[in-house]
Amino acid sequence: MTIVSMRVNGVEVSREVPDNILLAYFLREELGMTGTHVGCDTSQCGCCVVHVDGVSLKSCTTLAAQVNGCSVSTIEGLANEGVLHPIQKAFAAMHALQCGFCTPGMMMSAVDLITGHGRPLTEEDVREGMEGNLCRCTGYHNIVKAIITASHEMHAGAGDAQAA
Amino acid sequence: MNDRLLKTTNPGGSPLINERLFKSIGKPLQRKEDQRLITGKGRFTDDFSMADQTWAWMVRSPYPHARIVHIDKTAALAMPGVLAVLTGADCMQDGLNAIQHSPVPSTQYDVKLRGPGDTPVFTGQHYLLPVDKARFVGEAIAMVVAETRDQASAAAEAVEVQYEELPWVFDSREAAKPDAPRVWEDIPGNVLVDATFGDIEGTEKAFAAAAHVVTFKSHVGRVTGVGLEPRAALGHYDADGDAYTLYAGSGGAVRQKRELADVLGVDQKKIRVLSFDVGGNFGTRNRLYVEAGLVLWSSKKVGRPVKFRAERSESFLTDYQGRDLVTDVSLAIDRDGKFLAMRAHNLSNVGSVLVSLSPLGKGSGLITGSYDIPLATLRAQAVFTNTMATQAYRSSGRPEVTFAIERLIDRAALQIGMDRVELRRRNLVKPDQMPYMNAVGSTYDSGEYEINMDALLELGDFAGAEARRAEAQSRGKLLGIGFCNYVESSIGTPKERVDLIVHADSVEVVIGTQPAGQGHETSFAQVAADVLNVPFEQVFIIMGDTDVVSAGGGTHSGRSMRHASTIIVLAAEELVMQGRKIAAHVFDVAVDQLAYDDGVFRCLYDNRAWTWFELAAKAAAAKLPPELAAGLRVRFDNEMHTPVFPNGSCMCEIEIDPETGSLEIKRYATIDDVGRCINPLIVHGQAHGAIAQGVGQAMWEGCHIDPATGQPLVGSLMDYGMPRFDNLPSFKNEIAEVLSPTNPFGVKAGGEGGTTGALAVIMSAVEDALLPICGVIEMEMPATPLKVWTAIQEGRKRQREKSPARTDARPEVTA
Ligand code: FES
Ligand code: FES
Repeated sequence: MTIVSMRVNGVEVSREVPDNILLAYFLREELGMTGTHVGCDTSQCGCCVVHVDGVSLKSCTTLAAQVNGCSVSTIEGLANEGVLHPIQKAFAAMHALQCGFCTPGMMMSAVDLITGHGRPLTEEDVREGMEGNLCRCTGYHNIVKAIITASHEMHAGAGDAQAA
Repeated sequence: MNDRLLKTTNPGGSPLINERLFKSIGKPLQRKEDQRLITGKGRFTDDFSMADQTWAWMVRSPYPHARIVHIDKTAALAMPGVLAVLTGADCMQDGLNAIQHSPVPSTQYDVKLRGPGDTPVFTGQHYLLPVDKARFVGEAIAMVVAETRDQASAAAEAVEVQYEELPWVFDSREAAKPDAPRVWEDIPGNVLVDATFGDIEGTEKAFAAAAHVVTFKSHVGRVTGVGLEPRAALGHYDADGDAYTLYAGSGGAVRQKRELADVLGVDQKKIRVLSFDVGGNFGTRNRLYVEAGLVLWSSKKVGRPVKFRAERSESFLTDYQGRDLVTDVSLAIDRDGKFLAMRAHNLSNVGSVLVSLSPLGKGSGLITGSYDIPLATLRAQAVFTNTMATQAYRSSGRPEVTFAIERLIDRAALQIGMDRVELRRRNLVKPDQMPYMNAVGSTYDSGEYEINMDALLELGDFAGAEARRAEAQSRGKLLGIGFCNYVESSIGTPKERVDLIVHADSVEVVIGTQPAGQGHETSFAQVAADVLNVPFEQVFIIMGDTDVVSAGGGTHSGRSMRHASTIIVLAAEELVMQGRKIAAHVFDVAVDQLAYDDGVFRCLYDNRAWTWFELAAKAAAAKLPPELAAGLRVRFDNEMHTPVFPNGSCMCEIEIDPETGSLEIKRYATIDDVGRCINPLIVHGQAHGAIAQGVGQAMWEGCHIDPATGQPLVGSLMDYGMPRFDNLPSFKNEIAEVLSPTNPFGVKAGGEGGTTGALAVIMSAVEDALLPICGVIEMEMPATPLKVWTAIQEGRKRQREKSPARTDARPEVTA
């Protein structure tokens, strides 16, 4: 057993857990935060993506102990005091989810992709950049639309910054 | 990204259906379910936990076929945390029954599938754990329950099962041979269904007289659903109430409850099943899994809740799988390109035990596709093999037969030298032939096939395809243009129940369907809102808990929107009657002094008028006579048997690099007649996902088995080719609303059409691209780059042998 401490969505948590517990299960089973999903055992599907210190990461392939002392954000922390994040709004508006199982990881990956580009995304950016996430329901069509839309909202006015 | 609607006529129906007043129906409203799903508040099975819960792990057979000689639990029981090790012998000792899957489709509209020599169909016995032998790799042979999941998994390694390996068979053609290894000793061979339909003599005569006979053979391979949520089940036996509770996502909790009661030998009232958010179904979760029964049974034995969660690798081995049909079809055609008759022989691989004949049955009724073929005969066979059982998988049976007829027609066009669109045009069923009974007895309800086909050709810019082909050629690429029509059928369980309840501020609709992303909470609310003329925001759909939902047929076979819209309007008619009586009582007038119009109850001789919600508030406050005491609430049961036939057309373009065999989909367009479209946002989403699943089968997916060992070669997302962001294009889809005359709203179905045509249209494009080099190709799906590259090499070799000066000229076709 080992003591693992981290900040999850801005809240300090600390638990004594088995040494080999994965971050995904630390969140789901120790903290009861079941919004982060596990869809595979080979690090392929991306249902488990969270942000660690602002960068997306597959929590199914990360030991909780590896992120000791880090700041973790999950789907539960994406909306800001009840105000939906642009990616959440776009997913709902464009019907970018059906069963919703891939959705948390999908949105967490998308936010990192959009932030990392510093400009609105093209279809090619999205299809290449989201390659690590799988969805079985949507055929990706509406997810691509939603991520592009959110990228425009998140980078509104960023055109100038990019030109500079 | 062209999401436009094509409108046609309205068949009318109930007085409560007033198109003029529709505020929600037909609108692309955002889904109600999304709020929880985008904020991490979904309720998937593994999200539930119980105090003091324990964990289950299955010991699975490593062999495709083996006698279970002995199971030694001693070492496993001594491992830390282990509470129980259970086997098939323990199931027998406790008198557990085999699962009753009701696998033979039985409505009057289903083709009658029978055993060899017109005998009843033998199904095998699907016990929770087998006693005699393992019949496929991955079959659960024993179960370990321990304090933690890790402990259970470690102890499972220590369960010593002594097996005696037996000869095995996984290919249906091999299994059908008389000397094949026998999966079940109870019947003389592995063939469990052998039935012939249609006019045999007439068909033979037509073939004898035909100007052209064209044939096509293929194996539509085995795939699996890959719902992204791995299967899970949480079972609890409450000794005080002698009652069982199961959390398990499925395609319908009511069915699970009924079948579990049979397995456990207890009254249905003793079982509660809860199924909320389901992370993908596509048919795979519609039938009961052994683990659902096992967690309930073991919970009683260990006296604590028991949870099971599959690894992805277990899902690949043991989720019910799909397709696996060998088809051999031929078509008789006259001099003018008119189809005269069709012959088909379909052989379905049901796996190790019979779970469902839906794929074979559904397909059998549709072998003639969208075409007027006056005569047909079909031989339908099914065999057992040493593989995981198959079940209806998105568009059960229809993609297979659509693939057969459409590929056959492409072949015919090449063989007789006629344009493939024109050949289809000459033979499509015409609107004035509707309702149209096909040669094997299915009656198509409605459709405008030729109009759809032409609309599709425009949407996909078929006219510009040759120019795009030339442009691709200038870059050294081969562009293939695929095209097909499809018709499918939606039947499904005929019974449904609804409870319609009006409160002072909301309407509740309790219904027994079970979505896995199809958006019932939204589209059903749209219907109820417009039928009652109340705000959409105030309608709530309640599903998934058998303590609340007392009956219901679940979600499969595209049945849900049609059944739900029908039963909601029928129940609403009763609710209006109930409302008038209550209003009469509260107003203190005679019932015939009360009118109901567009959501308002009105007293005929004064100005008093109340909405549903006002009336509900008054009724709650009033003292109602006993016969009205339930308030604004009705329960309605409905049975609807008549099938509907969604249909459409698809086109795609695939660019092939002849040097590497790599394929890229450049264009994909569909037009789908779904009947009335309640929510186009959702229906388009269904089309996209359905296309991806069909394209997946045609290009990447396959549950391959090693022919040398019988071992499945696919156990993870690293070995199973999935549709991904970077291998699919954006689609062009249109909805055609040719309303069905069979139900009040004219609904057909929108969830499966995308898959139905996809196999055919992809392979049509691949063949078309390779035509100048290879001629017609015998390529089984998936069309991988290796297969394509190999076909190109062989084609070029043949060309060099024939004439050293190679030409890539395309064969001439005439209209
Ligand atoms: S759970 Fe599949 S990648 Fe993490
Ligand atoms: S919405 Fe179901 S897996 Fe993506």
